[in-house]
Amino acid sequence: MSLPDDPLDSATRAQAVPVLTARPSVRSHQLQQVEGPGAPQLIELRGTSLIIGRSPEAEVRIPSSSLSRQHVRLDRGDDGWTVTDLDSSNGLYLNEIRIYSAELRDGDTVQLSDALFVYFEGR
Amino acid sequence: MSCFVRFWGTRGSIPTPGRKTHRYGGNTSCVEVRIDDSMFVLDGGTGLRELGVDLLKRGPAPVRAHMLFSHMHWDHIQGFPFFVPAYLPNSRLSIYGTFTGDRRHHQLLSGQMSSDYFPVDFSSLNANIVASDLGPPTGRIIEGVAVRCFDQRHPGGSYAYSLEKDGVRVVYSTDNEVDLGLADPAAAQRDLAAPRELPPELVAFCRGADLLIADGQYTDDEYVKKVGWGHPRASTVTDLAVQAGVGQLAIFHHDPMHSDDHIDALVGECRERVARWGSGVIVFAAREGMTLKLG
Ligand SMILES: [Zn+2]
Ligand SMILES: [Zn+2]
Repeated sequence: MSLPDDPLDSATRAQAVPVLTARPSVRSHQLQQVEGPGAPQLIELRGTSLIIGRSPEAEVRIPSSSLSRQHVRLDRGDDGWTVTDLDSSNGLYLNEIRIYSAELRDGDTVQLSDALFVYFEGR
Repeated sequence: MSCFVRFWGTRGSIPTPGRKTHRYGGNTSCVEVRIDDSMFVLDGGTGLRELGVDLLKRGPAPVRAHMLFSHMHWDHIQGFPFFVPAYLPNSRLSIYGTFTGDRRHHQLLSGQMSSDYFPVDFSSLNANIVASDLGPPTGRIIEGVAVRCFDQRHPGGSYAYSLEKDGVRVVYSTDNEVDLGLADPAAAQRDLAAPRELPPELVAFCRGADLLIADGQYTDDEYVKKVGWGHPRASTVTDLAVQAGVGQLAIFHHDPMHSDDHIDALVGECRERVARWGSGVIVFAAREGMTLKLG
C-alpha cells in the first residue's frame, strides 16, 4: 500500500501546461562506401555540390583505376541530393540499373565501377 | 546523337504523395525525351508541372516542345494548366493528333480549362499552342525524329508512341490492357507461368526498342479483379518486352495503392520471369526524377 502523498498514486493535478520546445538535431545526408578502394568510409554530404572520382582534385577521391577522374557529380536540391554521370567510362548504376542521373532516396545503392555506396537521407 | 529520357511522373490514375511513395514518386504520367536539341513530352499528368519549373531553370531560351498524349484521362492531362511555359509568349507547344487532321487532343486539352473546371481559360494562355498531327499511319518525321503511334486497348482508346533517331528508339506504351488482346486471354489465366501469346502488331511496334516504357499496373492476383479497367498485368508486359527483344523495360503507371516496397516486389517477379525465358531484358520501375541516356 502506498503512502497517500505518493505523486504516482494520487489524483492527477490540473495545472497550466507550459509549452515546451524541442529543436530536432540536424543530420546531414550521407553516402556510405561499402565496397571498393577506400571502403569502408562514411561521406557526409555538405555544401551544394561535390565530385566523386579518381582525380586528386575530386572532393571524394576513390583510388581505383576503373573510375574516371571526374566520375559523378552530386548536387544538393530541394529534396536531397541528385547524382549525375559526368560522361564516365564505366557508368553510374543506381540500384543495379545504369542511369544518367537521379534524385537519391534513402537506402539507394550507387555503384561507380568497383566502388559501391549506400545513400542515407538526413533530416 | 544524344537521347535522354527523364521521368517526371510515373504514377497511374491519381497523384499519391507521401512517404510510402517517396522512392518512385507520386506524380502522374509525364516523360521528357530529349533527342539532340528536340524535346518531346509524353503525356501531361501532374509531373508536367515540375518539368515546366525545371525548363525555366535551364535558361532563357524559349521553350519549344512537341507534346504527345496517350489519351485524355485526367492522370495524363492534369499538369497542363500548371505548365508555366504555356503562359509565356515565346513558348511554342505543338499538340499532336494521331492521324491527318486529328485535332482531338488539342480540343480536349483546352476543354479541361473551361471556366467550370479551371480559373484560367485556354485562350488566355500566351504561348503559341499549335494543333498538329502525326499524319499517315507510317508516322511523321519531326526535327529528324521518326514519330509513330499505335492504337491500344483502353476504355475510350489510347495510343502508344515510338520515337526513333539514328537507330535509337524509345517506345511509350501506357494505359494499354494488353491482356485483352492476347490470343486466348482465358488460357493466360489458367496457366500464369506460360508465355503470353501477344498480338503480333504490338510486338512488331515494340520490336528492338532500346527502351520500352510500359504500363505494368497490376500483379497477376490484382488483374483478375480489374479486367476491363484498361491496364495489364506486369507479367504480360514483361513477356512483351522479351518477345519484342527490347533492351530495357521501365514498368510505368504504378498503381496508386502500391507502395515503393510493393513496386519493388512486382519488379522482382518480372525479373524472375525474364530470367525464366533466358532473356537479357533489363527490367526496372520507372522512378520520378530519374534520367536515362540511350545510345
Ligand atoms: Zn492513366
Ligand atoms: Zn486511362
